Amino acid sequence: MAYHSFLLEPISCHAWNKDRSQIALCPNNHEVHIYRKDGAKWSKVHELKEHNGQVTGIDWAPESNRLVTCGTDRNAYVWTLKGNVWKPTLVILRINRAARCVKWSPKENKFAVGSGSRLISICYFEQENDWWVCKHIKKPIRSTVLSLDWHPNNVLLAAGSCDFKCRIFSAYIKEVEERPSPTPWGSKMPFGELMFESSSSCGWVHSICFSASGSRVAWVSHDSTLCLADAGKKMAVASLCTETLPLLAVTFITENSLVAAGHDCCPMLFTYEESQGALTFGGKLDVPKQSSQRGLTARERFQNLDKKASSDTANASLDTLHKNSISQISVLTGGKDKCSQFCTTGMDGGMSIWDVKSLESALKDLKIK
Amino acid sequence: TRRRTGEALRALHTALRSPGSTGRSQASKEQAQGTMLKVLTSFKSSEIEQAVNSLDRNGVDLLMKYIYKGFEKPTENSSAILLQWHEKALAVGGLGSIVRVLTARKTV
Repeated sequence: MAYHSFLLEPISCHAWNKDRSQIALCPNNHEVHIYRKDGAKWSKVHELKEHNGQVTGIDWAPESNRLVTCGTDRNAYVWTLKGNVWKPTLVILRINRAARCVKWSPKENKFAVGSGSRLISICYFEQENDWWVCKHIKKPIRSTVLSLDWHPNNVLLAAGSCDFKCRIFSAYIKEVEERPSPTPWGSKMPFGELMFESSSSCGWVHSICFSASGSRVAWVSHDSTLCLADAGKKMAVASLCTETLPLLAVTFITENSLVAAGHDCCPMLFTYEESQGALTFGGKLDVPKQSSQRGLTARERFQNLDKKASSDTANASLDTLHKNSISQISVLTGGKDKCSQFCTTGMDGGMSIWDVKSLESALKDLKIK
Repeated sequence: TRRRTGEALRALHTALRSPGSTGRSQASKEQAQGTMLKVLTSFKSSEIEQAVNSLDRNGVDLLMKYIYKGFEKPTENSSAILLQWHEKALAVGGLGSIVRVLTARKTV
């Protein structure tokens, strides 16, 4: 696994360009820094300074190469590369609270922004007026929208919120696209239509992800649960109460396998058994090399007993690659149906690239279906 | 003694399934809590691990809720017993089961 320490502060959010040669990230401030891979090193090539508040979301459109950023200053900017300079265009989101997440749609003709205003802004470019306009999806969202993911049909949008629910809405914009054909989530998709709503878990929904086909959606909540809704099974929801601390990020790596990570600082594999409609824990993906168990001297043993009431040497320090919570996972190669590499960034300011094949050979009991 | 263990185990499963645990009234909750504490106390220390292993995931989560509820109003001996149960429940339920005690909307 390749781990690179970018910062001493948390990486708030990140996004990769199409060929994965550049990464845009927010170094826990109002800016976006773009780094380019230079052999084994990373060099900073751009600093994007326009936001007046922390940048909470970045997304990089692979085909049109545009960046979209959103921040606590209640704004979003679409950035276009002109020569060697990134030029921002302000997008009025019409929100009165911080923006929290942003995602380009698959066709890159729209993007969605979740915010503390308890609504989702769907933004598209209006040709005649030469600017970005937005429409709001409000009902029945009752709290901050923390996470968003688009269905491959460019119309359906999954949203995870602090009101403990995962919902799928239609974000159909007639100005920019044709009427969508029916999906397992429903056939009538007027703008703002609620296609699916989960029954309450008991935690803020930190991250949400559609499978590659779009017929499944998975989400992780702050009550340490992972849930999956399967449109192929009449939207039946499978949920797993994990033994871990809350997970903050989740992604599909095949149609049946998920990788999630969070406050345990370590990515983990989960498997969906379609026949039983159940989710199971598949193992931790960050197994440290067996560090030699240094023998304790009698003095150290006594000190441990005195200080911690235990002579147990384990758990004194974190053995995982990331030394703090992992806050975001992105698929690098292979897509969500045959992911071969994924990337994690965290509050330790580090970025790690994980290779699925290497994990499969290193961890014998790992079964990725 | 085996019969007694079996009875204690059955009492535990019954107490966990009883609706009074998530009932609406404060009185029924307190009664359920009192019953649960009696049941937990009736186990020998050596039997606790086996009892926890006999529970499913939801059972472990519910047990953890009762344990923390019991910590809130300690009696003469209750904390010591509850701590033993806590250790075994944690081994099975992990930190996640404690997180779900904190985030639960329906308390016991």
